Amino acid sequence: MKPVLPFLMAGDPALEKLPGWLAEARGLGLDTIEVGLPHSDPIADGPVLQAAAQRAITAGATPRRVLECLARCPDSPDIVLFTYLNPLWQLGAGELIRLLRPTPVKSLLVVDLPFGEEPAWEEQLRAAGYPLVPLLTPTTSLARVAQLLNRSRQGGAGFAQNFVYLVARLGVTGQNGPMDLDSVQVRVAAVRGLTDRPLAVGFGLSAPAALDAVRAMGARPVVGSDVVERLAAGKTLRAALTAAGPPEPES
Amino acid sequence: MNVAPSTEFVLPARFGRAGLGGCYAPETLMTPLLELEAAFRAALADPVFQDELSRELRDFVGRPTPLMPAPRLAAAAGLRAVFLKREDLAHTGAHKINNALGQVLLARRMGKKEIIAETGAGQHGVATAAACARLGLDCTVYMGGADMARQAPNVARMKLLGAAVVAVPAGQGTLKEAVNEALRAWAGRCDRAHYVLGSALGPHPYPTIVRTFQQIIGEEARRQILETTGALPDVVVACAGGGSNGLGLMIPFLRDAVRLIAVEAGGHGRALGEHAARFDGGRLGVLHGCKTLVLQDTHGHTAATASVSAGLDYPALGPELAALMLDGKVTAWRATDEEALAAAQLLSRCEGVLPALECSHALAVLPRLAREGAPCVLLGLSGRGDKDLATFQQMGGAT
Ligand SMILES: Cc1ncc(COP(=O)(O)O)c(C=O)c1O
Repeated sequence: MKPVLPFLMAGDPALEKLPGWLAEARGLGLDTIEVGLPHSDPIADGPVLQAAAQRAITAGATPRRVLECLARCPDSPDIVLFTYLNPLWQLGAGELIRLLRPTPVKSLLVVDLPFGEEPAWEEQLRAAGYPLVPLLTPTTSLARVAQLLNRSRQGGAGFAQNFVYLVARLGVTGQNGPMDLDSVQVRVAAVRGLTDRPLAVGFGLSAPAALDAVRAMGARPVVGSDVVERLAAGKTLRAALTAAGPPEPES
Repeated sequence: MNVAPSTEFVLPARFGRAGLGGCYAPETLMTPLLELEAAFRAALADPVFQDELSRELRDFVGRPTPLMPAPRLAAAAGLRAVFLKREDLAHTGAHKINNALGQVLLARRMGKKEIIAETGAGQHGVATAAACARLGLDCTVYMGGADMARQAPNVARMKLLGAAVVAVPAGQGTLKEAVNEALRAWAGRCDRAHYVLGSALGPHPYPTIVRTFQQIIGEEARRQILETTGALPDVVVACAGGGSNGLGLMIPFLRDAVRLIAVEAGGHGRALGEHAARFDGGRLGVLHGCKTLVLQDTHGHTAATASVSAGLDYPALGPELAALMLDGKVTAWRATDEEALAAAQLLSRCEGVLPALECSHALAVLPRLAREGAPCVLLGLSGRGDKDLATFQQMGGAT
């Protein structure tokens, strides 16, 4: 299918759904997928992902259970684990690494951890093979972009350990309303001038035309809230992804 | 796109031996926070800003607030002397206006057109709404649904002052949810809006900014008590929600031989979820941009809290106050709902002053201080109790 980086919320509506979705993702030919580990106070998420996290927590998706479930999902694309610092930090780096080892997780996107804020923790995870994904937003000055790229050394092989996440708009996940694709294009070009690492663009993407526009910029679109909403309503991953452009027929 | 003044912070962002505080913010907010720190440092160094702040604190807020001897209260509690620092007499009825005014002046200086704030008890919301009206900025206040119900008079006041009040229905509908929503709103409008955080918490530089604007409480009180009694008090005591009134009162006494006590909400029990006593009930964690003592479950999810007082039920302590407690410089006590209600009634009857339920928690420890032999106590009366009338009536304290 066309390049896309889908986001799923682990545990919503039930953790038992996760292995099936990941296998389906692999069947659809996706090499990488983002999995959200639910947190009680998701300050960078809009209403859809807030509600999904709340449902998941209520249904018992603790960090430990989510990671133990992922350990039973060998048939999965590479996983970018998307979450907030506190649930990971409470486990301690050693225990977190032990829990990550048997999973398909390849990198961490910790929304409220700017590079360098927990240097020892970050280094321990990076050394164990779990780099932090750099997140660049419309407010990140180019001087800071250069600094962040410099600090987040590439992890290894594969998209999940190398990509840079470009946030397409101000605000939180799942905001709809028209996207200013021209400024995204300018941003992608500016970042392209600083790195040849692969790029993903997300936050508030769902319209097929916007996804195609991002692809035309040479970046991979992230679809989150839309997919989460459809999966929670009982759709298959393939059906949930139709907004991201109809999957090509399986050969 | 903004050009950051710097890509690094200059002011210390960490507190105490455990290195609490820090800046655990989403990347969207990092550049606004860097800009805010730069603007704050420039404002503090600018005599024009300082002049205007002093003038407004005098003419608009009514500072200095009195230091009132409370002899009948002292006698009832078994103490030689109690002095109340009357922040309830500051404009809008609580210490919150000191910080709100300072930050709204700062925002105007930064060229911001719009102010975002969160509020728990509603005092910070009212103070911010008033400061915005005074200085001509638009104001939106986020408030938990449960808090809107129990602090209804303050919702009406904010609206009269021209602010938009947005209900946050999520979770327990209290301050934590309001902060979540204010942070999200700021991320969406950070190019034109300033977020006026109401307590000494959140990501750097907020804890330092809020504490700096609140320190005037302790600077005045220290001078006033020396003028009145010729000596320092034995104890300085205040209630602790996020910690802004407590730090504001105590920091000027840090180098003195004075015992400093912060009183947290003991709620109605000792189990997780029944109180908001973070010092002995919490663990180090990260919430709303800073590392501090947080009430949380074993999974790192923020725990529910309970307190009769909407201003004290925040699940985390401000990082600087938490660090002072961990380093043994400030002692943490707790007072229960029941004790706070009784203390409010006692002060009302002894001295003709109706205190906010928040600082009633500080009043509630006076008998314990008497037992421990502290003759002279300086107490931060952080706000007035009019907003709490409905609670007093429901709890049978107004009969
Ligand atoms: C009157 C009053 N006192 C105290 C507080 C607690 O906050 P802090 O610990 O920041 O002073 C509040 C908060 O709403 C308040 O309204």
